[in-house]
Amino acid sequence: MLAKEIERAGIPAVYVTSLPTVATMIGANRIVRGPAITHPFGLDEDDRKRIVERALAMLESDVEPNTVWEVE
Amino acid sequence: MKAVHYLNQFFAGLGGEEQAETQPIRLDGAVGPGRGLAAALGGVEIVATLACGDDYFAEHEDEALAALLEMLAEIEPDVLIAGPAFGSGRYGYACARFAAAAAERGIPTVAAMHEDNPGVGEAGAAYVVPTAVNVAGMRDALPRLGALASALASGREIGSAEDEGYLVRGFRRNYVAEKTGAERAVEFLLAKLEGETRTEVGGDMDRVEPPPPVADLSSALIALVTEAGCVPQGNPDHLQSVRAQGWFRYDLGGADTLASGRYESVHGGFDVTLANEDPNRLVPLDTVRGLERDGRVGRVHESLYTTTGNGTPVVVATRFGQEIAGELRDAGVQAVLLSGT
Amino acid sequence: MAWELATFSTDLLREPEAIKGVDVEIVPPGSSVRVTHVLDAVEPRIRPDGRAAFPREGRGGEGRTNRLDGVVVLSCLDFPGEERPLHEQESIVDLGGPAAELTPFADMTAVVLTFSPGDGGHVEIDARARQTALSIAEEIARGALDGEPEEVERFELGAAEESLPAVAALIQLSDLGALYIQYVYGTPAGEAGLPRAVDPAEVLDGAVTCGEYHWAAMRNPTWFFQRNELIRTLYREHGKTLRFAGVVLMRGYEQSAADKQSAAERAAAVAAELGADGVVITTDAGGNSHTDVMLTCRACEQAGIRTTVVLAEETDPQSTKPILTDWVPEAGSIVSTGNVEELVEAWRPERVLGGDLLLDGTPAAEAGPIPVRNYLGAANQMGQLALSARTE
Repeated sequence: MLAKEIERAGIPAVYVTSLPTVATMIGANRIVRGPAITHPFGLDEDDRKRIVERALAMLESDVEPNTVWEVE
Repeated sequence: MKAVHYLNQFFAGLGGEEQAETQPIRLDGAVGPGRGLAAALGGVEIVATLACGDDYFAEHEDEALAALLEMLAEIEPDVLIAGPAFGSGRYGYACARFAAAAAERGIPTVAAMHEDNPGVGEAGAAYVVPTAVNVAGMRDALPRLGALASALASGREIGSAEDEGYLVRGFRRNYVAEKTGAERAVEFLLAKLEGETRTEVGGDMDRVEPPPPVADLSSALIALVTEAGCVPQGNPDHLQSVRAQGWFRYDLGGADTLASGRYESVHGGFDVTLANEDPNRLVPLDTVRGLERDGRVGRVHESLYTTTGNGTPVVVATRFGQEIAGELRDAGVQAVLLSGT
Repeated sequence: MAWELATFSTDLLREPEAIKGVDVEIVPPGSSVRVTHVLDAVEPRIRPDGRAAFPREGRGGEGRTNRLDGVVVLSCLDFPGEERPLHEQESIVDLGGPAAELTPFADMTAVVLTFSPGDGGHVEIDARARQTALSIAEEIARGALDGEPEEVERFELGAAEESLPAVAALIQLSDLGALYIQYVYGTPAGEAGLPRAVDPAEVLDGAVTCGEYHWAAMRNPTWFFQRNELIRTLYREHGKTLRFAGVVLMRGYEQSAADKQSAAERAAAVAAELGADGVVITTDAGGNSHTDVMLTCRACEQAGIRTTVVLAEETDPQSTKPILTDWVPEAGSIVSTGNVEELVEAWRPERVLGGDLLLDGTPAAEAGPIPVRNYLGAANQMGQLALSARTE
């Protein structure tokens, strides 16, 4: 819901979560799937960099509604 | 019991189109169609009729509503009745907006108009009784309008749209079904196996279009927001682990990282051990600062917004989102990295 | 003839007692009583063959079990300290007033157990309270060992027409860690090898017990498994409109997306092994357990098994947008067990049991309006009751 309200205000937001189905249900549009509920940005700095970079790339991209990106 | 009846200038007998700029006016007792309502209203008496020109309402909605609501407040009726407006768009709109405002203030309200009248979507929590598209339907409409108005005035519980003769408003209301959920589930499943899909709730959601992408992240102000309950160590503002009562804004103070021991997670929906070992696992401040130094992002907003996304009712979470979004917009934030769980 | 008397020593007074005491109140049907801090509701049961009514080993659902009709044990406890699992999630049973229709217990004799927590952590306190409540439920039924029963129901799945559709029930049990656990033969759902098939009669015969205390209206007390409407309906319809293919127990709150997905696929696989053409999928509690349900729904549909899902809503009563916690496009057939955000009008009971203050500090005798959300099992998602919501 936070993502949707932030987007409703016109600010692009990217939501990093391990539960993308919940996010799409709630209506978030830019979603990056993280590895686990306990650590959605991964365990170590390298994981974090990859996931954050993916999230930033999504902020820079046009997307269809409710799009989920994976992290390679 | 007392009713107030709202009519436009024409039905109140003030004149036709040339009187459409009439400002709100109060007339004693029932006027025009109101007299026809009397029979169906039973023990409810129309003590006053409020009338307003359709054009005046359309052009001065705020003033018109203010005047009408003030008149209504003086009378303190048990029910407000508006229309029937049939297919007249301006009249239907005025009926609906007045009805919605009255309903918001706790006055039981029913309007009447054709189901395609644009006013139907503006009636808020007020009831709308469907009518024919023009005044030939008056004799048919009045008894039905009167019956529901009488029921509302009496304070009794109003049944389903189908039973009581009003248009579905779209609100979800609980009721006790004839069969248990289990029996209905088995029935629905057997129907589905026969090719017929039945459901009691669907996925018709309020969708927001994705905002355009950030044009130039290297000069953008990016904010960090988290639903993972990340707070300063000791949770000084007592953010709840579940069913958050609020959200909080914390000054990052230029910090390069969320240090373990300085920040913790109080989210009650998952094991926070890993997050507390390194809070950057929930809110990747160290990474984002590095990107700020490298010029990948312009600036990191020094306010971290935090709440606990665990069991918060959607209505509450939506309000939090609107409040946070308002602050972000006022601060000129151009992009948001939102941490879920 | 000689007689022996053997002596044992005890540490009774040396160990810290998790429960200091329990108050017992017997409340006649239709009383103007509000019961707060309710953990569980249990039907008194006892087995003539001496086996446990709530077995921790072996298998229920065989032989005969005796039940006491019209009596329910309600256990109440206010966990001490900061880490209260019921925080902001008060659990109420009103035996009179407007919320009486939200519970099956209002026209029963309620044996209300109010526990006083002692020393020890929440886990010990909970374990003792649960064991005690179940033992008392069994003891109360002891009178049912004498005399003749009023009625004997036989739960048996005989042969049925092959042309009838095969229907299984997929029943979700929460396990989100201590105080949010449903137990299968005394084992937490997360450790009970779920998803797995069980004989439907096992669920009715005490195999599942409740140790889960959040989401009052949307969760399932022990009684809802003992008297499970879905299983009883499927037994009743077996051979008439369907073939009852069996029951699959599955866990809610798998802790990662990968675990959720794999559990969903395994549940669908078990349902397929049972030969199900269609399944009713039930839900326990709220939050991401709804994600487990939706993923299971999708996995079943993708495996060619049709689904109907049972869920409660969390819709803003002022808004025209129905709100489900989670949803997948495959969930085209959903039974709504009501909107937990709707308010129940205020009621002044003559008496309050369980605790005089609600968890938010309001005096229980003067509280209200209270949302459906706080009434135990009122919007339970196994279809036990008839509450639903419609668009008006």
